[in-house]
Amino acid sequence: MSSIKMFEKPLGMRDTFPQIFEKVETVRNTGRDFLCRRGYEFIKTPAVEYFDTVGKASAIADAHLFKLVDSQGNTLVLRPDMTTPIARVVTSKLLKEMIPVRLAYFASVFRAQEAEGGRPAEFDQMGIELIGDNSVFADAEVIVTAMEILKHFGLVNFKMTIGHAGILNCILQDYTESVEQQNILRALLVSRNYVGFEEAVESFDLPKTKSDALLQFIEEAMHVKEIQDIEKYVRKNDALEYMQQLAKLLEIADLADYVAFDFTLSSHMSYYTGMLFEVFATGSGFPLGNGGRYDGLLEVFGSKVGATGFSIRVDRLLETLDGQSVERQEATVVLFEEEQFEEAIVKVKTLRAAGKQATLQLRSSLVEEEAFLAHFTEVVIVGQGDVDGE
Amino acid sequence: MNELTIAMPKGRIFDEAYEMLLEAGFNLPEEVEMSRKLMLEIPEEKIRFILAKPMDVPVYVEHGVADIGIAGKDVLLEQQREVHELLDLKISTCYIASAGLPNTTMNEIAPRIATKYPNIAMKYYKGIGEQVEIIELNGSIELAPMISLADRIVDIVSTGRTLKENGLVEYEFITDVSSRLIANPVSYRMKSDRIIDLVKRLKKCVK
Repeated sequence: MSSIKMFEKPLGMRDTFPQIFEKVETVRNTGRDFLCRRGYEFIKTPAVEYFDTVGKASAIADAHLFKLVDSQGNTLVLRPDMTTPIARVVTSKLLKEMIPVRLAYFASVFRAQEAEGGRPAEFDQMGIELIGDNSVFADAEVIVTAMEILKHFGLVNFKMTIGHAGILNCILQDYTESVEQQNILRALLVSRNYVGFEEAVESFDLPKTKSDALLQFIEEAMHVKEIQDIEKYVRKNDALEYMQQLAKLLEIADLADYVAFDFTLSSHMSYYTGMLFEVFATGSGFPLGNGGRYDGLLEVFGSKVGATGFSIRVDRLLETLDGQSVERQEATVVLFEEEQFEEAIVKVKTLRAAGKQATLQLRSSLVEEEAFLAHFTEVVIVGQGDVDGE
Repeated sequence: MNELTIAMPKGRIFDEAYEMLLEAGFNLPEEVEMSRKLMLEIPEEKIRFILAKPMDVPVYVEHGVADIGIAGKDVLLEQQREVHELLDLKISTCYIASAGLPNTTMNEIAPRIATKYPNIAMKYYKGIGEQVEIIELNGSIELAPMISLADRIVDIVSTGRTLKENGLVEYEFITDVSSRLIANPVSYRMKSDRIIDLVKRLKKCVK
């Protein structure tokens, strides 16, 4: 390993400079306001958790966890997602107070990176969890909220792909001959390797009816127009009815245009047990967010109530919003000489009282006056009256 | 109709893949002169080709600057990028194998493998429980056993002629390789109509 340079940060860690910070803050405030209005309450959980509890329950692969050891020798992790800590805190406390609970968060999560130096290992996520409601209406609420928040941010070109872990499992179970085969196929679908899927199906030497059905299902289920279309592959199944209901609800909410169903959708987040979805938008090469129903995760913490939610990656949201102009903030600087301090104080007070952003600066401390003043929209030099900035 | 950007590897695979696109009925110029070009616009089809080094195609696609691309399975296995693998075009078929000087065994103390594919090689030898040292080279891999840099090489073999000319023999077959159509996950959803249409048409031309 090469030696660490003085300015270097750990792999994947980033500084957020003032301009970006402001953008993130705008997203945070807009999002917070939006979610609060829908009855979601914001929550914060510790950055560090025990490996044996949150670390293990989280669906993030071990290799991506940042691990530390505390003074008692326990292994700790930096939280790799927000869903797991929230599952912990609601089962331990909040569910005793009210069911269902609606929670929201805006927090950074940590995932160690192996490839390509610059990818963020710490990034902000904004999301909601709706815990304690098993109904299809809860899932619909989450999906609608996810889409409406994106619209609220001004996003137009986005799509949501919805699948259902139960339907996929049912298909894989029915048309394969061992759990092992199911797992192989599922892993291939997670990485969306359709070529590998076909090859694997062929290599299993399944009865022709089964392998044909599998291959046909994959082709059709990727882009389902009407949910009835895949009925012929699935045993009479609650999940299918559930999805039909969900589709109807989304139609009523007038969001059907943004939705596509894909029953091959499978997530590396292994705790999704029911419907699950991914959100994509033009402007970023990577998915914007994802979500779904994760009843199984609550069970890990000893609660049997259902849960559903979504999260959006804030860095990718910013990337897709990049084209939208952000108005330059008005900023005034008040320059003064040492003996004019009193006058200067009065000046900034009036400016601030008028709602302006005003910086107070001793003129003789400036290293390069022109470069410094370029950061302001208005310059006031005490004793000289107003001088326009750039 | 959205513009579709396709990342294509330069060289032989480009010719074969381009031939397939013509056969699939895309309205493309019959002959393209692309010796020094990096981009090729086809306004009639709203298609833009980016010409890249084969190893770079998955990079462009993963980052979404190309919606789809054509990449060798060897490159996909080596880089493990987040792209959808949509179709096996069954062109430029070959395989990855280990090779070495005839009648040799691996050095017991320090078994060394020279390769352009360190990840594939490492995964293979880990999988069979061999502890080896991987030496990454960028070309002329066949040289390594001849000058005793390595006991074995791991490389793609198409006809086996290069191995033969350098006095090497094949030892273990590792995996089959052919060119694949890959897609960026976001493009796959946002431009699904165009991509599905392309896959369907190309599928008919796969031999």
